[in-house]
Amino acid sequence: MKMINLKINDQEIVVEAGKNILDYCVELGIDIPTFCHDERIKSEGACRMCVVEVKGINRLLASCATPATDGMEIKTHSPEVMEARKDVLELTWASHPNDCVVCDANGDCKLQDYSYEYNLTSIPEYDGHKRNFSIDDSNKFFYIDPEKCILCGKCVYVCKDLQGVEALGFNQRGHDTFISFAFDNGMEQSNCVSCGNCVSVCPTGALMEKSNVMFRSWETKKTRTTCPYCGVGCQFDIVTKGEQVVRIDPAPGTPNEGLLCVKGKFAYKFINHKGRLTSPLIKENGEFREASWDEAYDLIASKYTELNNKYGSATFAGLASAKCTNEENYMFQKLFRAAIGTNNVDHCARLCHASTVAGLATTLGSGAMTNSIAEVKDHDVIFVIGSNTTETHPVIGSFMKQAIAKGSKIIVADPREIELAEGADVFLKILPGTNVPLLNAMMKVIYNENLHDIDYISERTENFETTLETIQNTDIEEAAEICGIDAEDIRKAARIYAAGNKAGIYYAMGITQHSQGTNNVKSIANLALLCGNVGIESGGINPLRGQNNVQGACDMGGLPDVFPGYQKVFNDEARAKFEKAWGVKLDNKVGLSLPHVLDGAYEDQIRFLYIMGENPVVSDPDTTHVKKSLDNLDFLIVQDLFMTETAEMADVILPASSYAEKEGTFTNTERRVQMIRPAIKPVGDSKADYIIIQEIMNKIGYNQPILTPSEIMDEVATLTPIYGGVSYDRIQELGLQWPVLDHNHPGTKYLHKDKFARGLGLFSEVEFAEAKELPDENFPIVLTTGRVLYHFHTISMTGKNEEINEIVPENFIEISPKTAESYKLKHMDHASISSRRGTTKAVVHVTDKIGDGVMFMPFHFADGANMLTNTELDATCNIPELKVCAVQIDGKL
Amino acid sequence: MNKNILDKIKVETLTANPELNEPHKNLHEKEVRVVLKNCDIINPENINHYIAKDGYFAINQILTGMSQEDVIKVVSDSGLRGRGGGGFPTGRKWNFAYKNENDTKYIICNADEGDPGAFMDRSVLEKDPHSILEGMIIAGFAIGAETGFIYVRAEYPLAAERLQKAIDDALELNILGENIFGTKFNFKIEIRLGAGAFVCGEETALIASIEGNRGMSKNKPPYPAIEGLYGKPTIINNVETLANISQIILKGSKWFRSFGTEKSPGTKVFALAGKIKNTGLIEVPMGITLGEIIHDIGRGVGNKRKFKAVLTGGPSGGCLTEKHLDQEVDFDTLVALGSMMGSGGMIVLDDHDCMVDIAKFYLDFSVDESCGKCTPCREGTIQLYKLLEKITNGEGTIADLDKLKKLSKAVKKTSLCGLGMTAPNPILSTLEHFYDEYLAHVTHKVCPASSCRGLIEKYIIQDNCVGCTICAKRCPVQCITGERKGLHVIDQDACIQCGECFASCNFDAIITK
Amino acid sequence: MSIYVLEEQLNEFKIEVIDKYRDTKSPLMQILQESQKRYGCVPVEVQEFISKEMNITTAKINGVVSFYSMFSLKPSGRHILGVCTGTACYVKGASRLVERVEALLDTEYGSTTEDGCFTLAHTRCVGDCAQAPVIMVNDEFNGKVTSDDIPKIIARHRGKNCKK
Ligand SMILES: Nc1nc2c(c(=O)[nH]1)N[C@H]1C(S)=C(S)[C@@H](COP(=O)(O)OP(=O)(O)OC[C@H]3O[C@@H](n4cnc5c(=O)[nH]c(N)nc54)[C@H](O)[C@@H]3O)O[C@H]1N2
Ligand SMILES: Nc1nc2c(c(=O)[nH]1)N[C@H]1C(S)=C(S)[C@@H](COP(=O)(O)OP(=O)(O)OC[C@H]3O[C@@H](n4cnc5c(=O)[nH]c(N)nc54)[C@H](O)[C@@H]3O)O[C@H]1N2
Ligand SMILES: Cc1cc2nc3c(=O)[nH]c(=O)nc-3n(C[C@H](O)[C@H](O)[C@H](O)COP(=O)(O)O)c2cc1C
Ligand code: SF4
Ligand code: SF4
Ligand code: SF4
Ligand code: SF4
Ligand code: SF4
Ligand code: FES
Ligand code: FES
Ligand SMILES: [Mo]
Repeated sequence: MKMINLKINDQEIVVEAGKNILDYCVELGIDIPTFCHDERIKSEGACRMCVVEVKGINRLLASCATPATDGMEIKTHSPEVMEARKDVLELTWASHPNDCVVCDANGDCKLQDYSYEYNLTSIPEYDGHKRNFSIDDSNKFFYIDPEKCILCGKCVYVCKDLQGVEALGFNQRGHDTFISFAFDNGMEQSNCVSCGNCVSVCPTGALMEKSNVMFRSWETKKTRTTCPYCGVGCQFDIVTKGEQVVRIDPAPGTPNEGLLCVKGKFAYKFINHKGRLTSPLIKENGEFREASWDEAYDLIASKYTELNNKYGSATFAGLASAKCTNEENYMFQKLFRAAIGTNNVDHCARLCHASTVAGLATTLGSGAMTNSIAEVKDHDVIFVIGSNTTETHPVIGSFMKQAIAKGSKIIVADPREIELAEGADVFLKILPGTNVPLLNAMMKVIYNENLHDIDYISERTENFETTLETIQNTDIEEAAEICGIDAEDIRKAARIYAAGNKAGIYYAMGITQHSQGTNNVKSIANLALLCGNVGIESGGINPLRGQNNVQGACDMGGLPDVFPGYQKVFNDEARAKFEKAWGVKLDNKVGLSLPHVLDGAYEDQIRFLYIMGENPVVSDPDTTHVKKSLDNLDFLIVQDLFMTETAEMADVILPASSYAEKEGTFTNTERRVQMIRPAIKPVGDSKADYIIIQEIMNKIGYNQPILTPSEIMDEVATLTPIYGGVSYDRIQELGLQWPVLDHNHPGTKYLHKDKFARGLGLFSEVEFAEAKELPDENFPIVLTTGRVLYHFHTISMTGKNEEINEIVPENFIEISPKTAESYKLKHMDHASISSRRGTTKAVVHVTDKIGDGVMFMPFHFADGANMLTNTELDATCNIPELKVCAVQIDGKL
Repeated sequence: MNKNILDKIKVETLTANPELNEPHKNLHEKEVRVVLKNCDIINPENINHYIAKDGYFAINQILTGMSQEDVIKVVSDSGLRGRGGGGFPTGRKWNFAYKNENDTKYIICNADEGDPGAFMDRSVLEKDPHSILEGMIIAGFAIGAETGFIYVRAEYPLAAERLQKAIDDALELNILGENIFGTKFNFKIEIRLGAGAFVCGEETALIASIEGNRGMSKNKPPYPAIEGLYGKPTIINNVETLANISQIILKGSKWFRSFGTEKSPGTKVFALAGKIKNTGLIEVPMGITLGEIIHDIGRGVGNKRKFKAVLTGGPSGGCLTEKHLDQEVDFDTLVALGSMMGSGGMIVLDDHDCMVDIAKFYLDFSVDESCGKCTPCREGTIQLYKLLEKITNGEGTIADLDKLKKLSKAVKKTSLCGLGMTAPNPILSTLEHFYDEYLAHVTHKVCPASSCRGLIEKYIIQDNCVGCTICAKRCPVQCITGERKGLHVIDQDACIQCGECFASCNFDAIITK
Repeated sequence: MSIYVLEEQLNEFKIEVIDKYRDTKSPLMQILQESQKRYGCVPVEVQEFISKEMNITTAKINGVVSFYSMFSLKPSGRHILGVCTGTACYVKGASRLVERVEALLDTEYGSTTEDGCFTLAHTRCVGDCAQAPVIMVNDEFNGKVTSDDIPKIIARHRGKNCKK
C-alpha cells in the first residue's frame, strides 16, 4: 500500500495513495463546491468549480479529477481559487436564465447556493448569448429544460454508467451543446426507462420532475425509508409537505447506491390517492357501508366465535402479506397459530418462490439468495435464467449492466429476448418449461470437458455419483431440440459458466412457477455445486425475491409448515418453545397452502378467510375458480389500502395504513432487514396492520399486549435464531443481513461460506418432465405470463399513477410476427384469447423478441392472464404452473 | 527481410533511379532538410525509394542490436522536443510509457494538423509516408507497444491513401506485422480518419475519437502515457516529431544536436503564408531569427504594404512584431514573447490587417471548435468573441478592454484542456503588442488598418489612382467608374461597402472614412 | 440519394459496411464515415439501423454524429463548395469571397442551393495555405482565387451535370 504526503491548507497528512485531491479534502471535512462530481462515476472535471491551487503548477486543477501525488501542497480556498470559482460561476450564468423566482428548483439548486456562497453581488451581465432551447416534456415524469442545464454531464454519465441505459446524451458541440434524447426526438422514441436517476443527480432545474403539487424545498421534510415495491429494497427519502408526499429522493449507499427504478422514484401517488380506504366497511345486502372500527371488530369477533364453534379452527385460514412488515406478518401468523389455533397461514410466496424455499432448503439448507446485491457488480460471469431482471429487479439489473461494462460475461436463458439478452454472450431462447433439459445438458458438457470443480465436489457435497448418471443420460442434441435452441449455444454457455471464477446464477419466476418448479431449482443447485460456485463472494445461487417483504413474510412464518425462522411446526422442540412463549398449545399439523385454502373454500373445508394485503382475485390462477371459492366462504376479511377486486368480495374491509405511514421492517432479497419509517400520519381512519391484528387478537380472546414494532421485533429475535441479533437500534443505518445469530453477530454477507447450512451440499437427480398442459390442436399456443417494468402486480398501487397508466394502459400480448400473421393480426389490434378455463382480451404487440407459437401476457390486469392460467401444482411445494399453459387466439376483436 | 535485402534494394533502386541522389532544388541557403529530406525527391508510393534513402535501416539497426533503453536514451540525448506544439521532450515521454508496465500499450501518430493555416504535416504524410511508419515502429519498440494508430485529418484524403499504401507495402516486406525482421517484435498500424473537429488534435480528445466517442477532452493528469487509449499507456507524437526519429537513430544524437539551439535542438518546418512573397514550406534550424525567416527566406511582404506582424501558434498562439525580428525562433523564446511555436504555421500580416479583427477571427475559430465540455471554455470563448465583436463594431468601451483581459485570464486558468487554456492567447498577445489599436477602436471608433467594416463609412479613391481598373473589375455592383489610366470614382449611393476595391488596390489609392 | 433510405440500401449497408466492422474494436466512427461517403450524410434511419445492428445506443450515435462537423443529417448538394476560412485564407480576404459566393448562389453558408447543385460547406484550412485564398469544389483545389474568379468557378460546375 503506497502512502503519500499531502499538505492541504497547511494541514499535513499521510494518506494511502490512489484517490483524487477532492477525496482527501472531503476526508478532512473541507467543503469544496462541485457541480459535475459524483463519487459513483469517473470524474470528468467538466464544471471546473472544484478547482484548487497546487504549488508549482501555474494553472488551477480540478480537484475532483486530479490524482493526488506525493508531496503536493494544495490550497483549497486561497484568494486566487475563490476568484476563479467566482469566474466560473459568472460564466455559468452567462447562458443561464435568471429565473430563480419562478423556477421549480428554487431552494434546491446548487447554482443558486454557490452563487450566494461565493458572493456574486448580482447576476453578472454578459452581453453575449443566452441560449434558446425548447423544453422537452415528452417524458411522462420529468421534463428537460436545456436552458437551465449547466452541462455538468452528470445525467448523461449516470444514465450510461450506472443505469446502463444511455438514453440521454450530449447533442451538438461547443456552446451549442445540449442534453437530449437521441435525435432530440423525445422520450417516446428513446430507450429511456424513466428511472429518474438523471433527475435525482441534476444540480439545477434542468431536469425536473413534473409535479402536480407546488412546493419549495424549505417547506418539506425528508424521511428515510424502504421502497414498498420489489425485493431490491431500495432506500430512499420520502419528501413530504405537510401530509402530502411530493417527491422521492434516492439514498446513497446500501443496497441501491443512489439508484431507483421508475416505480420507486415516481409511483408514489397511491399514498395520497383519493381512492385510499379511510374507514372500515361492512357489507350489508351486497353493499358496503362505512363502519367504526369497533363495529368491524365486533362483527369479526362474533363471526369468529360463531364459525369456530360450528366448524372448528381448522376451517379458518389467513393470507399474510409480502407487502406488510415483518412485525405485521409475525403477528398475523401468531394470530392464526396462537389465537385461533391453526397453521392455515400462507401468502403469495406460494405463487412465487415456494419452489426455491423447498428446493434450496433441501439442497443447501436455506431457501434464500446466497449472495448480496453489492456483489453483483463484481461477477465475471452472470447467468440469468428465468428472470427479467432489468424490469423486475431494476436496480440489480443496472448493477448487472455495470458488471458487464467492467467485462463480465452474461448468459441469458429466457423464452423472450429480454433487455439483458440484447448483446448477451449467449442468449438461449428456450421454450417455456424446458429448463431442466438445458441445465442437464450444460452440466454434461461441463463434466465431459472436465470443467467441473473436483475438489469442491468431493469436499463439500454429497450424492454426486448418482446425480451424474442422470446427467450422463441426457443427450445434448435432444435437449437442444426440446428447448428449441442450438446445441452449440448450450456448449458455449456451459463453457462460459464453468470458466467463471465469480459466476453468479440469477433466477426468478421462469424457474419457479412450474409444476417442475422444485426440480428446476434443484437442477440449478446441481449446476452451481458442480462448478463450486456456492459459498464464495460474487458467486452463488441467487433467487431474486419479488415482493418488498416476501423474504420477511417467509422468515416470519407466513407459511403453513413453519414457525418464524423456518422452524417446523411438527418439530416438537420448536413447538414447545413457541408454546411456552405464546402461552398456548399449538397445532402440530402442517396447514393448508394457498391453493388448497382456495380449493378448501370451494369445497366448504374453509369457512373463514382473512386476507391481509393480497389480491388473489387477480393474482391467483384461474380467476373463475378463485372467485367461486371466495364467494363460497362464510366470512371474508380483506385488509388493504384500496378497494381491490378481492376486497369487493369481502364481508368486512379493514383500511390499512401504507408503508409511508408506519414503522417496521422489510427484509429484502439479500436477507437485509431494513427500516421503514412513518413520513405522514395514517390516511383517514386507517390503521397500521400491526395494530389491527393485535386488536383483533384481543377481541377474539387472546391476551396480546399491544406492542410497538420495535417490541415485536424483540419478541421475534428471542424466538427466531436467524434474527437473533436483530433489534431496532442496530438497523437504523444499514440494516442487517440474516443470519444474525446474536447481538454481536455482524450479519451474513453471503451464505454457506465454509459449510452449507445443511452440512454438505446435496446433488439431486433431476429428470425432465413436461409441463402439465401442453399445446395441442385446440389450444396450439404456449402462454407464459409475467410482469412489466412499470406496473406492479395487480396494479392496486401503480395503477394509481396516471403517467404509468398512460405508458401501459391495458392488457396486452406479445406474439411473433409469424404467429400474428397466421391469425391475421396486426400490431395494436385487439384480440380475444382463450384457454380451457376462460377468455380474455388484449391488445396485440407483434415483436420478434418472442418465438413462434409462444405468447406472453402480463398478469397485471383484472380478468386478464389469470383468466387463462392453469391451477396445476408442483407436487412438492404447491406452486401453480403460472408460466406454462395452452391457449388459442379466438380472433381479432 | 534482413539487412542484406535492405542493402540490395537500396543499391538496385539507386542504380535504376540516379535522380534519387540529387539534392533539392531551389533551397534557400539558410534551410536544412532533415524532416523534409525525401519530400519531392522520392516517389512516396514506392517503398524501395524510401529504402534507397536509408529508410528502414534505423529500425533494422534497432532490432538487431539495441535495447528499449538504448533507443530511449538516444532519443532523450538528442533533446528532440515534440513538434505538435507543446515541445515536450520526446525521450522523456517515451520513458514514462516504457516504465509504466502493462500488457498492452499503444502508439498514436497525431496527423490531425488542425491549425488553420499550417500544412507541414500534410507534406510529410503525402510525400514521405514511410518515415512516419518507421518512426512509429521505433516508438512502438521503445515503449513495448504492438499497435499503432495514425489519426489523419479528414481533409487529407490523399495522405490517408498514401499511408495505407505504405502500410500495405511495409507489411508485404515484413517491416510491419509479426516477427519484424525475423525478430520477436510485432507491430501493426491502423489508420483512423478524423471527422472535422479541431479539438481532436488534443491528445485526450483524439483518443476519445479513436474510441468512437465524441471528441471531448479529458482532464490531465492522468496523462496518456499512464492512462491513454482504452485505458492503456499510450504515446502520442506529432508527424514531424516521428519523422525525425529514424535519422536520430541512424546518425546519432550528436548529429541531431548539431542543428538548432541547446534547448531546442534540430530543425523546424514552418509553413509560410499570408502577406509574404515566398509562401510555402521551409525547414530551418531552430534559433534562426524571425527576420531571417521573414525577410531572407520569405522575401518580405511585397506590394507597397508594410510588415506588421506574424502569427505563430495558430489559435493558441499570438503575434510577433517588427521589434521581434531579431529574436531567435525556438520553443522557449516564443513562449517568453507571449506567443508559441505551435506546429509551425506562420501567417504574415501587413498594415491592412487589423489585430483586433485577427483576434476575433481566432476566437470565432475557438468558439466553433470548443468541445463544450468545460464551463470556462464553452461559455468564456463566446463571451470573449462577443466582446471583440462589440469592439470591432465600434460599440466597445475602455472597460471592455479590462473585461477582455480579466476574462481571458479566467478562461486560461480554469479551462480543462489546451484549447481553452490557450484560446485567449491571441487576445492577450495582441492586447500587449497592439494596445493602441484596441484603444483606437474603443475611444476614436476607428480601425487604423481600415479593416473593420463596422467602423468604415465609405471608401474613397484618392488622386494617386493610376487607373489600373482592377477595383472597377472587382466591384460586385459595378459602382466604380473611370477610364483606363484615369482617376476612378465610387458612386457612394450604389456602394455596398464590401471592401473589394480597397483590398484589390495595389497602389494605396483607396482610403476609408 | 434521397433522405429516405430504402430497405435494400440498409441491407446493402449491412453487408458491405457493418458486417465488415463487426469484430473491430470501437468501429462507430468508421461506420459513420462510410455512410457519409456513400450517402453524403448519416440520416436518422441509418443511425437507428447502426444502433440496432451494433448494439450501440442511438443517444451515443446521435451524440457522435452531431459532434463532428463532417457528418450531416441531410444529403448535400451535387457539388460541395467550400471557401477556405483558415487563417492564411482569411488574411487574404476569404470572408469577402464567402459573401460573394453567398450572393451569387443566393444561399447561406452551411446550406444547399435550392436546385440542389451546391452546398456551401464550412471549411477551415485545406492544407494549401501557400495558395491562399483557396476555394475547394469537391476535391478540386482553386488557389489564389480573386472575387472575379468566382462566377467562373460556379459556372463551370453548374455546367457539369447540374441541369435543373
Ligand atoms: N415491475 C415489476 N417488478 C416486480 C414485480 C412486478 O409486478 N412488477 N413483481 C415482483 C415479484 S413478486 C416477483 S416474484 C418478481 C418476478 O420477477 P421475474 O421472475 O423476473 O418476472 P416474470 O416476468 O414473472 O418472469 C421472468 C421471466 O421468465 C421468463 N420465462 C417464462 N417461462 C420461462 C421458462 O420456462 N424458463 C425460463 N428460463 N424463463 C421463463 C419470462 O419470459 C420472463 O422474462 O418481480 C418482482 N418485481
Ligand atoms: N399469471 C401469473 N400470476 C401470478 C404471477 C405470475 O407470474 N403470473 N406471479 C405471482 C407472484 S410471484 C406473486 S408474488 C403474486 C402477487 O400477488 P398479490 O400479492 O396478490 O399481488 P399484489 O398486487 O402485490 O397485492 C398486494 C396487495 O397489498 C396491498 N397493500 C400494499 N401495502 C399494504 C399494506 O401495508 N397493508 C395492507 N394490508 N395491504 C397493503 C396492495 O394494495 C395490494 O392490493 O402474484 C402471482 N400471480
Ligand atoms: C486544441 C489542441 C489541438 C492540437 N492539435 C494538434 C495537432 O493538430 N497536431 C499535433 O500534432 N498536435 C496537436 N496538439 C498537441 C497534442 O495534444 C499533443 O501534445 C501532441 O500531438 C504531442 O506530440 P508531440 O509531443 O510529438 O508534439 C493539439 C493540442 C491542443 C490542445
Ligand atoms: S436552475 Fe437554479 S439557478 Fe437556474 S433558475 Fe432555477 S433555481 Fe435559479
Ligand atoms: S430516466 Fe433513467 S433511463 Fe431515462 S434518461 Fe434518465 S437516467 Fe436515463
Ligand atoms: S441536465 Fe442537469 S445533470 Fe444533466 S448536464 Fe444539465 S445540469 Fe447536469
Ligand atoms: S428496484 Fe425495486 S426496490 Fe428499487 S425502486 Fe425499484 S421497485 Fe423499488
Ligand atoms: S477547454 Fe474547451 S475544448 Fe477543452 S475541454 Fe474545455 S470546452 Fe472542451
Ligand atoms: S466538480 Fe470537479 S470539475 Fe466539476
Ligand atoms: S488557411 Fe486556407 S488552405 Fe490553409
Ligand atoms: Mo412474487
